[in-house]
Amino acid sequence: MMKLQFDLPISSEDLSSCVSCGLCLPHCPTYRVTQEEGSSPRGRIALMQRAHHEGVVDAEFVHFIDSCIQCRGCETACPAGVEFGSMMETTREALTTQTRYVPWWLRLGYRVLGSQGALLAASKLAAILQRLSLIPRSLGLPRIPLIQKRLMSSGTDVWLFTGCVMDAWMRDTHRAVQRVIESTGNAVAFPDKRAVCCGALHVHAGLGPDARRLATRTIEAFPGDNPILVDSAGCGAQLKEYGHLLGSDSARKFSERVFDVHEWLAQRIEDLPQVDLTPPRIAVQDPCHLRHAQRVHEAVYQVLGRYAEPIPVNDDGLCCGAGGAYATFHSQMASDVRDRKVDAIERIDAQEVASANPGCVLHLRSAGIAIRHPLEIVDALIRKGERSAGTA
Amino acid sequence: MVHKSADQNLLGELRSVLGDRARDGDFELGLYSKDGSVLEGNPMIVCLPVNTEEVQQIVRICRKHDRPFLARGSGTGLAGGAVPVGDPVVIATAKMNKILEVDLQNRIAWVEPGVLNLDLSRELSPLGFHFAPDPSSQQVCSIGGNVANNSGGPHCLAYGVTSAHVVAIEVVLPDGRIAVLGDLTAETPGYDLRGIFVGSEGTMGVATKIAVRLTANPPEIRTLLLDFADVRDGAATVSAIIAAGLIPAALEMMDQRAIEIVEAFVNAGYPTEADAVLLVELDGLPGGVEHGVEVVRAVAARHHVGSVRVAADDAERDLLWKGRKNAFGAVARIKPDYYLHDTVVPRGKLVEVLEKVYRIADAHDLIAVNVFHAGDGNLHPILAYDSKEKGVLERVHAAGRAIITASIEAGGVLSGEHGIGLEKRDYMGMLFSAHDMATQDLVREAFDPDGLANPLKVLPSGSRCSDSFGQHVPDGAWV
Repeated sequence: MMKLQFDLPISSEDLSSCVSCGLCLPHCPTYRVTQEEGSSPRGRIALMQRAHHEGVVDAEFVHFIDSCIQCRGCETACPAGVEFGSMMETTREALTTQTRYVPWWLRLGYRVLGSQGALLAASKLAAILQRLSLIPRSLGLPRIPLIQKRLMSSGTDVWLFTGCVMDAWMRDTHRAVQRVIESTGNAVAFPDKRAVCCGALHVHAGLGPDARRLATRTIEAFPGDNPILVDSAGCGAQLKEYGHLLGSDSARKFSERVFDVHEWLAQRIEDLPQVDLTPPRIAVQDPCHLRHAQRVHEAVYQVLGRYAEPIPVNDDGLCCGAGGAYATFHSQMASDVRDRKVDAIERIDAQEVASANPGCVLHLRSAGIAIRHPLEIVDALIRKGERSAGTA
Repeated sequence: MVHKSADQNLLGELRSVLGDRARDGDFELGLYSKDGSVLEGNPMIVCLPVNTEEVQQIVRICRKHDRPFLARGSGTGLAGGAVPVGDPVVIATAKMNKILEVDLQNRIAWVEPGVLNLDLSRELSPLGFHFAPDPSSQQVCSIGGNVANNSGGPHCLAYGVTSAHVVAIEVVLPDGRIAVLGDLTAETPGYDLRGIFVGSEGTMGVATKIAVRLTANPPEIRTLLLDFADVRDGAATVSAIIAAGLIPAALEMMDQRAIEIVEAFVNAGYPTEADAVLLVELDGLPGGVEHGVEVVRAVAARHHVGSVRVAADDAERDLLWKGRKNAFGAVARIKPDYYLHDTVVPRGKLVEVLEKVYRIADAHDLIAVNVFHAGDGNLHPILAYDSKEKGVLERVHAAGRAIITASIEAGGVLSGEHGIGLEKRDYMGMLFSAHDMATQDLVREAFDPDGLANPLKVLPSGSRCSDSFGQHVPDGAWV
């Protein structure tokens, strides 16, 4: 196999922080599917160690590195505290800059995410093609709206980050989240179009410079000191990483203002309205970037628990296979990973499923799971409670 | 790392059986060159079979080519048992991970070797049963690996090690035949070949199906955390609890360094200022468990216990165990490498040997971390080090040898549960005479006359005439 020169800029100390005990293996979704070392965190670190040591890589190396979903489930499982996610990001960025790991057409695709105009145009085209039945349902795209109503700021108490795909395709989720926030007596501000995309997918793909450019613009879109709330676990994890990504004081200060919306609501749970309804049983799928990256997934249970009976999906927080753009480019692996999740969900007797990440919602919905954002469920229950109180 | 390039005829024949599940990619072979120990070998080809027939074909093809082979489970072994020495074919059984049959009437389950230990217990849980051996690596170690190493675990104090929980094994013997060792009856006439196979570390063939015993989940469990200002009081409490007539389900000890690294990972409220803690678990019928708790409290009070914390619920209990079971990996918080010993000493000698372990580590300028199965005297002294330090390996070996010597002098043995593998192989002579080892080798030879099944493991080279595969210790490996 042809070997390419490769310079992996990870320190020997970081690479040797893994003692190869293997405790991460069962927490890795791709290892669970393949049972192969190359698809495990321990194996991928061993690959990095070797590439670092020998200064070469080949297609086999790229294959195993590329098959990682970057869910970071291994990080919460690792007793040694190995920062796998950041090592994987560095490896991907090195591959992108030193090899043809990300082809030109894919780079173009990621550029679209960073441009609101291009994204809306592409979405409109997709919406039309959908209505002409020219987009296969198996792709799992939601029904993309043809015409989008604008999100309206109601004040300046907190910011709500809107993002790229979520804003283009799932704006109703933002509206529901806005109503829930407002029900606590706080007004919501939306950023201007400089906050077009958090750059998480770019980091995952190894497009570091693009990610840093998007991060810089995003920070500019949130002046002041007010909290920045995020209703997408993946975006929230990324915004919280800006301090690390840009390495500047202003970025660190920005990251400190970022909260997952459930995290923020859980701190003022008594401000949320009370309803007098029989709480429905809701299965909760913990998005990896809430559970393993941000580590604040408990907040979803607290907020949802005020209105419903949340039941955790009993699979140790294994990834569902969505992984941002992963499901698009590794559809077979993503679908095999999802089968395990669907099986765990179906063992639960619940009315529907909640997931605080748009990627997970779309991926699981395309497998026929009735799933929504937790705050869409909360919003619906609050409104239902108000209606029944009104008629009583 | 230089791999001997694969014999193309051998590879071709393996591919005809396995297709792309016979691998020889340079990077991928490297991933199967290690297990959880510090040793490294060179696989020639990695095979990923999915059923018994494929394993049989692989073994037959290897024999035809006079190529050694070895089985590998999850690769979490701590003694180098799955490190491929002598350019063998690695038979990774991880894809053979189906629970084939659960037979409640006979209280057994037939499982494939790649089933993970904890997955099996979780699957059995709704039925009210579990698989009793619970190594610290239970979330990832495989039943096949447990059989190979006759694995233990905290709860083996009361329930016994793997050998007591495996009733029958389907094996592909080194000559390529399939045999079932043991059966489902209570008493099997004739020699206990199943008993010989359990713990044979892959030197007698490859297990392809295993009938494991199902243990009923106890109706009541209490988990206690006891802290001590002096590690000697903790160790004395262990002996005193057993002497008081109690056999706890588990009786574990951690010293101060272990507590610190574990707490940094789990945040379970382990008292980081204590010199030692005991984790005591009692199970059974509620009345008996309550009585046991009182006995433990009384005994501990006589040995200057600091505080006694009883886990309030399953979540607290799980968190305490999560800390204990992740201790080895957490050592990386101190140093990037560790060498783990596994000696067993009589309980009454725990204090004496522990003190020697600390003195030995100090004398060799190393850090010793102790986290172990105190109830059955199974020490796990961990020597933490950084392999990048010059000359550190010599010190680690010298200290290791001294620890083993101290344990054996105290009336103990070389290994409790991790196996001998490659890492402890050359220490066998400290425990067994040449005659003992030659006799053991005859047993091995009866199963594997050609010496192809995981060669160069367990018994030191020279104890058999067929140990002749190139160098005894591969590049980058050390014993």
